[in-house]
Amino acid sequence: MEARAQVIAERVLTLVVNSLDLNAIIARIDLNAVLSRVDIEEPIDRIQINEVLARVDLNSLLARVDLNAVVERVDVEEPIDRIQINEVLDRIDLNGLLDRVDLNQVIAKVDMDAVLDRVDINALAQRLDVEALVEHTDLGAVIARSSSGIASGLFDVIRNRTIALDEALARGVARLRRRPYTGPPGPPLALQDGAGS
Amino acid sequence: MTARAGEATPARAPAAAQESLQGHYAGFASRFLAFAVDVVVITVVAILVLAAINFVASILTGRSSNFNRSDTWVVIAYLAWGFIYFVQGWGLNGRTVGMALFGLQVLTDEGGDISGWRAVGRTLALPLSFLILCLGFLGILLGDRRRALHDVIAGTVVVYAWDARAARLRYLAQGSSPGPSAPSAPVPAPPPALPGSPSSPG
Repeated sequence: MEARAQVIAERVLTLVVNSLDLNAIIARIDLNAVLSRVDIEEPIDRIQINEVLARVDLNSLLARVDLNAVVERVDVEEPIDRIQINEVLDRIDLNGLLDRVDLNQVIAKVDMDAVLDRVDINALAQRLDVEALVEHTDLGAVIARSSSGIASGLFDVIRNRTIALDEALARGVARLRRRPYTGPPGPPLALQDGAGS
Repeated sequence: MTARAGEATPARAPAAAQESLQGHYAGFASRFLAFAVDVVVITVVAILVLAAINFVASILTGRSSNFNRSDTWVVIAYLAWGFIYFVQGWGLNGRTVGMALFGLQVLTDEGGDISGWRAVGRTLALPLSFLILCLGFLGILLGDRRRALHDVIAGTVVVYAWDARAARLRYLAQGSSPGPSAPSAPVPAPPPALPGSPSSPG
């Protein structure tokens, strides 16, 4: 009985989705207002994302949506700021999802330049767990092939040890002077905008 | 750039320098060790050149030549070579061999590249830090900007010019690199943690 209801529900869902003029509906919605009222984290936590995505015909859905019009109307920065991207990505079976999507077809419909112009790439990049990315993906192999290997590794270790020694000395001196030590000073004025980058 | 399904997750690297101190004023140990390396480089080169001169002189004159460090001209040549070494290193690259090894760089006190003349001034002022019982170096330990006396005179600072975060990523990359592209020798121990580091400036 439950299985039959499931089949009927899926059939009804398909018929309803097919009969909708998605562009017209989307055009009537103030997306920014909607997004600003949604606690994005809470529903994302409750949804079995992979199960939902498995039931949707992504290609036919994407083919019917004017992505540029949607992207144009959304304040991209605001919802991105509110989402814990790494947590969401951890929960998605990206390989399975990408296997089902004709990426060329999707990309062909998007004005990438316009999208990228509106995204603060630097802010986005700072929120990525780059270390996990390098450690667990093929990117690590690419970096390893392009770096000079054992010699640079040895230099890295020597430099790190001496910096640790610098810090130990500085902390010792601060203790003798009965002053709190808050880390190495700097950088100079001209470097303060771009130091450490 | 997909995650490698089915592969064993590599062991998590031990805690390392998560923060880059690039651009921060360098401490006493790094600077002292870099200077020690420079002295070794200068001396080794001077000894090799002196040996070559003795060899050539003995061939040309047919007599055994023995220029050594007790000879005034040898001392003067040694000091001149040291002067050229430091001026050339600081003036052209902002660093000597020792500083490059330890990831240090000399900048103006505002953070710009130092000119040739400033490099000359810093090199001439360097002996002063020694001549007053090495008290000229106390500023590195006690000063807010870790400047020695010759830094103050020349209007320079010494900073870490080495990106610890990039080094950390290189280490992780080596750990994740499979097959023949991975380094054949064992990867050295990971960079140690830097307790007390402030948040990264960038």
